[in-house]
Order: sequence, then structure tokens, then C-alpha cells
Amino acid sequence: MGRGGYLGEFEQMLLLTVLRLGEDAYGVRIMADLEERIGRRVARGSVYVTLDRLEEKGWIVSESVPSASDRGGRPRRVVRVTPKGVGELRKSREALLTLWDGLEHALDG
Amino acid sequence: MSRQAQPPEDEHRADPGSGPPRLATRLLEGVLPPTDRGAAILGDLHEEFEARARKDERAARRWYVVEAIGIGVRYGRRTRRNRRGAAALGAPQGHDRSWEGMVDTLFTNVRYAVRRLTRSPMFTLVAVLSLGIGIGANTAMFSLVNAAIIRDMGFAEPERLVDVYEGTDDFTHGTLSYPDYLDFVEGSRDVFEAVTVSRFAVVQADTEDGVETLFGAGVTGEFFDLLGIDAARGRLLGEEDDVAPGAHPVVVLGHDYWSSRYAADPDIVGRQVRLRGRPYAVIGVTPEGFTGSVRGFAPALYVPVMMVDELMGSTGNSLESRGSQSYFGTARLRDGATFAQAEAAAERVTATLRERHPRTWTPDKEFVLERTEDVIMNPMIDRFVVPAAGMIMTVVGLVLLIACANLASFLLARAADRRKEIAVRLAVGARRRTLVAQLLTETVILAGVGGALGIVIATQGLDLLLAADLPLPFPITLDLSLDRTVLAFSALVSLGAGVLFGLAPALQSTNPDVAPALRDESAGGGRARGASLRNALVVGQVAVSVVLLVGAGLFLRSLDASRRLDPGFGGTPTALVQLVTPGDRYTREEALVYQRTLRERVAALPGVQSVGVIDNIHLDPLNTQTVRVQVDGIDPPPGQDFHGVDYAVIDEHLLEALDIPLVEGRGIEALDVADGEPVALVNQEFVHRFLPEGGAVGREVRLNGDPVRVVGVTADHKVRGLGEAPRPFVYRPIRQSFSPYGWVAARTGGEAERLVLDVIAEARALDPDIMVTQAKTMRRHLAVMLLGRELGAMVVGGFALLALLLASIGLYGTVSYAVARRAREVGIRLSLGADVGSVIRMLTGSGMRLVATGGAIGVLAAAAAAQLLSRLLYGVPPLDLPTFLVVPVVVGLVAFMASWVPARRVARIDPVGALRSE
Repeated sequence: MGRGGYLGEFEQMLLLTVLRLGEDAYGVRIMADLEERIGRRVARGSVYVTLDRLEEKGWIVSESVPSASDRGGRPRRVVRVTPKGVGELRKSREALLTLWDGLEHALDG
Repeated sequence: MSRQAQPPEDEHRADPGSGPPRLATRLLEGVLPPTDRGAAILGDLHEEFEARARKDERAARRWYVVEAIGIGVRYGRRTRRNRRGAAALGAPQGHDRSWEGMVDTLFTNVRYAVRRLTRSPMFTLVAVLSLGIGIGANTAMFSLVNAAIIRDMGFAEPERLVDVYEGTDDFTHGTLSYPDYLDFVEGSRDVFEAVTVSRFAVVQADTEDGVETLFGAGVTGEFFDLLGIDAARGRLLGEEDDVAPGAHPVVVLGHDYWSSRYAADPDIVGRQVRLRGRPYAVIGVTPEGFTGSVRGFAPALYVPVMMVDELMGSTGNSLESRGSQSYFGTARLRDGATFAQAEAAAERVTATLRERHPRTWTPDKEFVLERTEDVIMNPMIDRFVVPAAGMIMTVVGLVLLIACANLASFLLARAADRRKEIAVRLAVGARRRTLVAQLLTETVILAGVGGALGIVIATQGLDLLLAADLPLPFPITLDLSLDRTVLAFSALVSLGAGVLFGLAPALQSTNPDVAPALRDESAGGGRARGASLRNALVVGQVAVSVVLLVGAGLFLRSLDASRRLDPGFGGTPTALVQLVTPGDRYTREEALVYQRTLRERVAALPGVQSVGVIDNIHLDPLNTQTVRVQVDGIDPPPGQDFHGVDYAVIDEHLLEALDIPLVEGRGIEALDVADGEPVALVNQEFVHRFLPEGGAVGREVRLNGDPVRVVGVTADHKVRGLGEAPRPFVYRPIRQSFSPYGWVAARTGGEAERLVLDVIAEARALDPDIMVTQAKTMRRHLAVMLLGRELGAMVVGGFALLALLLASIGLYGTVSYAVARRAREVGIRLSLGADVGSVIRMLTGSGMRLVATGGAIGVLAAAAAAQLLSRLLYGVPPLDLPTFLVVPVVVGLVAFMASWVPARRVARIDPVGALRSE
């Protein structure tokens, strides 16, 4: 996933979920939405570690928002996909589409 | 019982139900970076937890812990990786990093330890089982001790509470009479804010299908306020409920009774319960965890003390009688008042009462104060409870010691196997501290898992104990749930075991004197120190096992001796039912008619051989009654002008029903009526002591000051305890010395259990409202007397066997390890022509030498310990020869098996293979 590489599967899933949620993307929402869409459980720990990594790479930015109720007085970390992150998504999508091109019939087997 | 329904309770009970599990949160906080990011993760977890908890709190807590661990592990790994990178680049290691570094090392060590432990599952299993059993035994017994002695009673500012007793020379801490209580209040106002008394009351409550006999308490208006107890629902009893006898039909339910009988009905307040036929309004419920003012006796319900006479159907008025001493007194010191001032006040009231009531306040009687915090149940009972608790904790402590010795022994063996690995690591510059920390982590994990297993074993064991149908003379309620104290105890014991017994092997195996280990190529070498330590452990284990088994043997022999004691009555199946003919509904004559009619109906039941009535059955640990005896020519004890002698009131059939032989004169007869000549029977010991010159029948003695003629002499029988020396005893006819309390004793050729129910049925058929206060078989009644010895023998015996088992495991391990290590030597011997049998003998012999040494030490130690036990033994000398002979033989046999079985394995050694492997 380093220089010039492509997004990992889980990175891609997270970025897409964050993109879909828009303004309201923070831990609990991201995991709920992701679990609902892919229909399986995700480990909380992987989500946080991956979010940290995405932020280090500059593909997302986060902002600490003071908390509402029910969080033991702790802030939310609201994240947003950066233009650079969108660029990465586009690159990955194009690569995958190119690779898939003409192979759809293989799935019908 | 939903939690939201009782907010007041959540407030004062530091309820663990509010918010996510704290420990998990705290641990995770330690791992996460102390930034907004870390906080956001905790916030997310909190938010999701709350959402889940609304559906299922337990599941939510489980989920939280699992996720917290998952995040912690991933974050731990990640920060470590970053730091390693940072350190490589020469990043400054800040101050807070050192703490993170420790967490980091901990993670590494834990992972390393877990890997090593899972690689040798047999070792891990045995170590965890040994520790689990040892810690389980300790946790279980500590739970008992905690419930019986330590657990907080829930009083506010307990340091200002004082217990008030009436003491005499014989009975140092007795209960008060109500008039004495009133005088005490009056005379001590300057030091006490308030004084309260409570008494136990057997109460009959009407249920849908009959009546239920409950254990309740009558309390004064000050009771709850003085102890600082607030209602869980409604209100508790106050001054307004304590004005006039019979005028306050209100009741407060105990929390447990409310939960079990009324399914914690939230609308209970305002409802009515019928107690002895009269409706009582429920005004409130006590808070959870409050079990009354006397430890171990939790009342099902509380009524105003003004109602107790009516509820118990007493003939007299206990509120006005100075002779009726049933009230437990508690007082609260005024702010600033001292205990010494309180004692001075008590002395003043004592002096006044001695002057005013010389008949009841004899010169040796006085008010006795004790700080409530210093009293467990009652100072007279505490004298037995505390040593018993000490003994039990010593026994389980020894069991744990043996289990820990197993652990240490296995660790030493493993350490010996890893000598080379460790030597290499030390040689290439590993720090000893690091290695010791790694090895210790392993033992602490073992101890932790063992501790968790121990808690499971303890709860299961206690459940079994609670389910056992013990013939207790009264309902004892002990809250054996695992509270913080118990959990802290188990955690401390586990950690202590892990560190203490892991340290020696860890230090020994990392001894920096590495050269010999590297040089020494043979597997047989380097056994000196590790092996001798292990041998010492086996010797110690055997010695401790012998001590415990000797103790168990002595208790068993003592139990056996007590079982063979003849109480002197009740040898055949007999039903015992205690009835009260309430004084407000029965005149004396009506009560006598009732008793006679019931007796005749019971006598007509099939299989019944004989039926009699007695007011106070012998060998009842809760009830003794004495009469003042004066005999011409016999001097009373110094300081008194009478002899106190146990007595009972009986009808003319009782001696036959209980099978007590008459040795002289006549028995009680139907003609011994109120206006006839006052007569009495005495037993042989009475004659021996008070009428020694012979011709007892026909003599006159004074009972409670009145002249009474002795008309017959009975054989002696046990009165208060099975082990007692013969006691004098007096019987009076029921028509001359009436008592509304009566035990119906019915001897049968059939089943006593059935007859008990039949007697109750007959009693209720005659009067549906009759109070049945106790019902049991004679066998069960007598079993109470043996209960202490039986429990002692059972507990000590059980733990001693456990100790022997653990010691055998240790011995087995030591010998099988020796076999494995000496494979090469054995191989040489075998290939040089030694036969397998002699090699087995040699290996078994080395194990048995340790056993012999341990056994000898054990026997000496047991002889010393037995002297300490001598007070608890009955009918057995402390140096009981059979016990001291049998125990070493048993230990020897078990030990022989434990060393012979693994030694036999040498037969499977292939001599050539063993030699080539080097």
C-alpha cells in the first residue's frame, strides 16, 4: 500500500463508508454502517488502527468534536476523506475495473 | 427487578451496573495514547455500550471487555512498532515513554509466557489444577469467614455503636429484659443519643395454603434510625409505631423475604399480610444487604416490639417482666461521648437497679458494654468462632502451600531443562532482570488462571454446602456471594502464590554463574541445587499432609466417640413437635385440656407406642431453664443462696415416651394437680449431689423458694451437651407448674418423619390457629449436638485428602522427572546387565526416602499440633495411637504408588537409544 501502491481491501471499505456517511462519519457510525452493508462483524481495533494509518497517509483528516450525551464526556473523532484520498479510491477502482474487464463470465461458472 | 425501577438503591450502593466496566476502561486508557484520538475511541466504546446495555446489560458488559482487549492488543502492538522505529531514528525517549515501555514489555512477556505455557499443556494443566484446588479451598473458606465475621453489617458510623448486655458470673453477655432496658435508657441519656432493643420472634403468617412459620424480629421505634438504615421502599418503623402494646399492626419486610416470597413486588407497600390471624399493613422493605442487628440471624420481617407478645401468644407480658430477658441492646454514643463515659453510666444504672430490685439484680449482675465493632455475634460465642475460623484458615492455608510447592517444583524442573537456553541468553548479554521478569510473568499467569478456576471451584463448593440439609437448630443466614473482600482475597492469594513460588525458581535458573551449564554437556549433570530444592519441597509436602491427615484422623475418632455416647433418652424413632397454646386464647385449664386431647389423638395413631408432653426438651442448645434449689444441710455456691438446677415440666407419660427409666419411687401421675401436694422427680445425680445420705424419696427440697416433695428418682441423662459430666435435674408435673410451651414427643414403631406430619395435622385439626413453632424427628434433634464435630471432621478430613492428593501429584512429578533425567544413567545400567526390577526399586527407593523423611517430620509436627487441638477433641487423647499409626501407613502407601508408577516407566527405556541420544 506504500508509494505508488494500491489501497488494501479494508482501507478501501473504510474510505467508501466514510465517503458515504459524509458529515456524520465517526467510529460508531462507521462501524455500524460498514457491518450493515457487508453483513459481517468488524473488529473495533482494526478499524481504529486503519483509520490512524489512513490519516498518516493523508487520505483522511479528522477533527475532534465535543461530545453529546452517552459517551462518558468524551469527544468524537469525525473523519472526512481528503481529495488525495478520493484520488486513491479512483486509482484503485480504475485498476480493478481494468483487471475485471471481460472476465465477468468467469463468475457465472 | 429492573434496575431503572430503583434509583435510590443505585445511589448508595456504588452499583457496578452504571456505565461500562471500569477495570477494562482503566486498562485500555493505559494503552491508548492520551490524546483526543484515544479519548474518541473510549467514547465510541461507551456510546455503543450504552446502546447495547439497553437491550441486555450482561451481554453488553461482555462485549465491552472483549472489544477493549481487542483494541488494547492491536494498539499495544502498533505503538510498539512506532516506537521501535522512532528509537532506531534516535528519537528522544521522553518521560512518559518509560511507562508505555513497561506496558509494552508486559505485552511481550505475556505473549511469550502464553506461548510457552500452551506448548506444554500437561504441565500447565497440572499446575493450574493444583493452584485452582488450593485457591478454591481458600476462597471458599474465606467466603464463610467473611460472611460470618468480616462482612460489613451496613450500619452508619459503626464506631459510635455500643452493644448492651446483662452479665452475670456464669453468663457474661446475656440479653436484657424490657424494664431493664427502659431503666438503662433513663440512666444513660447523657452519653447515649439513643438506645434500642430488638428480640427474635417466631411468627406465623397465613398463606394461601395454610400457615408459614417465620423468623422475625420485634424492634423498638429507635432501631432503624439508630443503626442508620434507610428504607428500600416505603418507610421503616419509627417512634410512632412504638407506643402501646398491641396497637401497631404494621410490618417491615426484610429484603430477602420480600424478594423470595413476594417476588420483589414493587407495589408491596400498603398491602396487608396476616400474622397469627391479624392483618398487618406492610409499610416498607429494608435495603438489600441489611440483615438485622445480630450477625447470622436475618429476620424475614420486623414488627414493633409492642406487638411481639401478641404475635407469640405469650401468657405473660414480656414488656413488664424483669425475668424475661430476650432483648438485644444496641446504643449510639452522643457526639464526643467516650466509651469510658458510657461504661461509667452503665455502672451507675447497675448500682441503682441492684438497690431497687435486689431479687432479680443479684450482686454479680451488671450491665456490660462492648463496642459493636468488636463483637462478631456475641462475645461468648465469638470465643469459639474465632479459633474455629483460625483453624479452618490454617488448614486451607496448608493445602495451598502444598499446591504452591507443586508449582514451584514443576517450575524448577522446567528451569533445569532450560538451563542451557538461559545460559546462552545471559552469555550474549541479556539482563537477568529481563529474564526473571519473563519467568515470573509465566507463574503469575498460571496463578491468575488458577485463581479464576479456584473462584469457580469455591462457588460450586459453597453451593453444595448451602444445599446440604444441615440439622441447624435455628435458621442461619450467611451471605456467601463473592463480594469485593473475597475477590480481593483470592486475587491477593493468587498473586502472592505466583510471585513467591515463581521467584525462587526464576532466580535460581538465571543464576549468572553460567559457565558450568554451558560446559556441562550431559543431561545428568547440574542437578545438585535444583534437585535438592525440589527434594526439600517433596519432604515438606509429605510432612504437611501427615499433619493434616493426623488432624483429620483425630477429628474423625472424636466424632466416632461422640456418636457412641448415649444421651440417655430418645433411642427409638420419635416425633417432636413444639406447640404454643397462646395465652390470649387459652386459659391454663383450656391449654391443659388441649394438650391432653391432642396427646390422646396422637396416641391413637397407628404405630404410635407412647406420647408425652415436656415444656423444654433436653439437649436443645437454644433453651436451658433452671430452678433455684435449696436443700437443708447443703451449702449453696459462694456468693449465692441457692443452686441453679436444670428442670423441665412434664406430663405423666413423658418418661415412658422418651424412654427414661425410673429407678426409685413413682413417676408423675395424673393426680399431681394444682391443688395437690407439690411434688417433683429428681435424677440420680441430683440425689448424689444434694441428698447423699440416702432415702431421697419422700424428702422435701425448696424449688424457687417453695417446699416440694421428691416422689421419685430417674436415671441420669444428658441435659445440655453430649460430652457433659452428669448434671442434676428436676422434673415437675405440668398441672402444678404450667407452661404454654409444650413439646409433644411421640415414640413410634414406624417412621418418625411421617409421624411428625401426622402430629401437626392432628394439632391443627383440633385448633387451626395453634402455633407450631418447631417440628423434627428425635434423630435430627440429637444430630444438632454432633453437628460441630461432624462439620469439623468433614471439612478437615476433606481438605486433608485434598492435601494428600496434591502431595502425590508433586511426588509423581518429581519421580517421573528423575526417571526422564536419569534415562542415560539407567540406559548404561541396563546395558551393563542390571535388571529392570532393580532399577525400578532404585528409583522408587529414592522417592520413598524423601517420603520417609517428610513422614518423620510430619509425625513430630502433628504431635505438637495435636496438643493445640486437644480442647476440640472428645474421647480421644491428642496422641491417639491408632491415628498416629494409620496415617503414616496410608501416606506411605499412597506415596509408594505415586513414585512406583512413574518409576516403572524405565522398563520402556531403550538402553541403546538413551545412550545414542547424547
